[in-house]
Amino acid sequence: MAYAPRPLNNHPGKKLAVKNSAHLFPSTRREFLRLTGSGIGLLAFSQFAPRFLIQSALAETPAPEKDRSILVLVQLAGGNDGLNTLIPFEDANYYRLRPTLGIPKDQVLRLNDTLGLHPACTELHALAHDGKLGIVQNVGYPNPNRSHFRSTDIWETSSDSDQILSTGWLGRFLDNTCPGAPADPADPAAVHLSNEVPGAFLSAQSHPTFGLNLNQFNRRDNPQNLAFLESLVHHDHPGNASASFLQQTMMDALVTEKRVQHVLSSYQTAAKYPGNPFAQSLRNVVALIAAGLSTRVYFVSLGGFDTHANQLNQHQNLMRTLSEGLATFQKDLETHKLAGQVLTMTFSEFGRRPLENESHGTDHGTAAPLFVMGSRIKGGLHGTPPSLQFERNQDLTFSTDFRQVYATVLDRWLQCPAMQVLGKSYEPVAFI
Amino acid sequence: MGNASPRLGTAEIQSPVLDPQMAWQPLPATQWDENAARHLLRRAAWTAQPDDVTRAIQEGLPATLARLFPAAPVAFPKPKLITTLQEDTPDFAQRVRATLPEEKRLLQKEARDRSQQALFDLAIRWLQFAALPEHSAAEKWTLFLSDVFVVSSEKVRNAALVCNHFETLRNHSFGPAPTLTKAVSRSPAMVQYLDLQESRRNAPNENFARELFELFLVGESNYTEKDIKEAAKAFTGYRQRFGEFNFVPNQHDPGHKTVFGHTGNFTGDQVIDLAYQLPAAGAFLPGEMARFYLSDEPLPKDLLASIGTWWREQGYSLQALTHRFFGSRLFFDLSYRANYIKSPVQLYLGLVQDLQLDVPPLPRRVLGSFRQMGQTLFAPPNVRGWVGGRNWINASTLNARRLLVQSLFSPINEANLNADELAEIANVRATGHDHFSMEPERLKSFSGLTAEQLADRLIDSFLPTKVDDSFRREVRQFLADDSQFKRPIDRIRNAAVTLLQSPEYQLC
Repeated sequence: MAYAPRPLNNHPGKKLAVKNSAHLFPSTRREFLRLTGSGIGLLAFSQFAPRFLIQSALAETPAPEKDRSILVLVQLAGGNDGLNTLIPFEDANYYRLRPTLGIPKDQVLRLNDTLGLHPACTELHALAHDGKLGIVQNVGYPNPNRSHFRSTDIWETSSDSDQILSTGWLGRFLDNTCPGAPADPADPAAVHLSNEVPGAFLSAQSHPTFGLNLNQFNRRDNPQNLAFLESLVHHDHPGNASASFLQQTMMDALVTEKRVQHVLSSYQTAAKYPGNPFAQSLRNVVALIAAGLSTRVYFVSLGGFDTHANQLNQHQNLMRTLSEGLATFQKDLETHKLAGQVLTMTFSEFGRRPLENESHGTDHGTAAPLFVMGSRIKGGLHGTPPSLQFERNQDLTFSTDFRQVYATVLDRWLQCPAMQVLGKSYEPVAFI
Repeated sequence: MGNASPRLGTAEIQSPVLDPQMAWQPLPATQWDENAARHLLRRAAWTAQPDDVTRAIQEGLPATLARLFPAAPVAFPKPKLITTLQEDTPDFAQRVRATLPEEKRLLQKEARDRSQQALFDLAIRWLQFAALPEHSAAEKWTLFLSDVFVVSSEKVRNAALVCNHFETLRNHSFGPAPTLTKAVSRSPAMVQYLDLQESRRNAPNENFARELFELFLVGESNYTEKDIKEAAKAFTGYRQRFGEFNFVPNQHDPGHKTVFGHTGNFTGDQVIDLAYQLPAAGAFLPGEMARFYLSDEPLPKDLLASIGTWWREQGYSLQALTHRFFGSRLFFDLSYRANYIKSPVQLYLGLVQDLQLDVPPLPRRVLGSFRQMGQTLFAPPNVRGWVGGRNWINASTLNARRLLVQSLFSPINEANLNADELAEIANVRATGHDHFSMEPERLKSFSGLTAEQLADRLIDSFLPTKVDDSFRREVRQFLADDSQFKRPIDRIRNAAVTLLQSPEYQLC
């Protein structure tokens, strides 16, 4: 069987000697795995190796450390209906496009003379009133893609519409944090409270990330088996990228697990979180932040926004879940005097078609508003609303590029040069 | 931009460079050995048991493929709860219509509960059915098809429709793909899942047409937004009523549609036939097979194009495709050995077979673990299905996998079971299929072996990967060390548990 020999620079010493040659560093997660599989040795890239070994020429953003700014990213999966989230209640076009789904003017929670929030967002409305909630209007990107997966990829990797990137914007943020001395080597760099690792976390280098599901903390390992497993996990499988990946994930998991279990089970809060999984996930985020984890990125997902049919009640429930959850979270952070450290931001792969369909739902659309929340942000409305003056069944044209929002968060909140992560410079939005 | 700029580009291809014609040629008979047989059984079914390997070697590759992928698979007996749910649906709908609003809510809740119970029962019975070695490959293939032609019980909300959808996939699983796709477009679960039910002559819903092209048939970039809008018209009038397909002519748009450059009064079936004329349709399913069975890395386009052309010439026979794919030089290439991550379903059923256990009729115990591992049966996260491979693995799903192994080595505590569960246990006990966990007696046959022999036996029967000598040494030491566990049998048990929890056992 013929194999193509692949040119590999797999001599660690050499790699370190030419420190500034970016091409010698793995540039994708796959490449990283291939490299580790072909002799560099897995540990060279994991948190178990001395960090100085893997220092690269990347930007020297402050390393994760206690008291640094934290980003909580909330995914509204399925495509949130922007027009029924931030409602242009004075625009006759809105009611023309939404004969059955339009929210009556007198029910809208007003933000100004023309725009207001969905009636189920009472808590968010109060936060907006207090200046702790910002709404960036009509966020999207050129040549929008209406596939859930492709558009999610675009948002998560922060690519152009016709460009495929293999790393996510938060993964590249982690790549750009300087190793320094980790506050606690058992802390994950990023935590996701979703079943799958978000695409936004995919990175060129390997970072300890941790996934957290509810209902998972009831195991009792016997310590002898755990020690035996830990020793087996240290055996390498040269040439087998999946084995190396499993091995590394398990090592990270074994270390982090002990710590996280302890934190969540001992967390005390006066805040009354709703019983739904979304709110419980947010509760766990506060628990981890309050425990002083050096983690700077959290990812929480709320699904069900793909409302093709009979949208009215579904969307109302989703808005309520979102509003109650976020507000309780913010209040809990304030009680712990942690609110100043945390910025929360929502995103969704696309908005929905302005013209409702005949099934009392809405089809895949383009731009939509997103929320930013925090005690140190500039609240209120940012950007400009979409125009609804168009022919039948057309889509919105975005007015703020989502990468402007990312650039703002990176530069002004995470203190990481946005240019390094996004590859281009984008005009920031004034919410920070 | 400096050195630190993100590297732009498409995924690296790690597969061997094979000539596109050569890659799909049958594996030479001289290369059909035990390792090849283990690879085939682990990838096409759940695991490679020694007896099955021996049999495969004796029969040869072509006969083994014919056995694993027959012209028609064994039918899955429809569970009784599903049958009654289905029979009662029209009657139930009538009762709901006739009642007052407050009672309506109660009735609807009752319907949901019944459906949920039937779904749990279906999941357990399917696992029991698929765990039998003679059904394994065909049922894994059905699972694969369900990961392409996705529906979710969370949206369909009627277990009978879900069961029937799987039956449709199974009935057509080795026939011509266009026939399967047409049957899927009429599957009441699909009609419900992708909103054909809401699609109307004057207002076609695009959801089904979009996913038909993007995720079932040709893949992204092989169609335009206009193709979707036009194709959606052809599927208007497709409805389901009480779980039966129901075509409503006055909701169907019989007018002209232009799809893939052809114009005519196309029906839904004709749109499907038009899509199968595209070269992309030939390459699409083999690409999905590679993703499900072979590797995280997509196959190079020229390899897929080559099998796609061949497959079109075969009239899109799914049986021919399986034999070609699973019998090819490419499939057996050494770069695909022991490096694909098992799905939770494969991990579970592989454990059941490796340990020669029975699936207990206890949904709470069995299905909870699937959810934690990230694969709730019949409820994939979205219309793309489970992405699989490395996406199965993160810190929490790995923990769940470890928990599962522990639970298989712990006896069921009957004090915690409710009356229904006890009755179910009694039923299966009467049939003798009641080996639900690894009891100590079942390990007794090992206790005469030396630590060396034991370590080799456990490693070689469980792990698909080659391990180095130091790994073997550590297992031997654990088995020989009586300072932690006095009784040999406890050491064997704990060594087995740990090996089954190891990263290596997650691979196939």
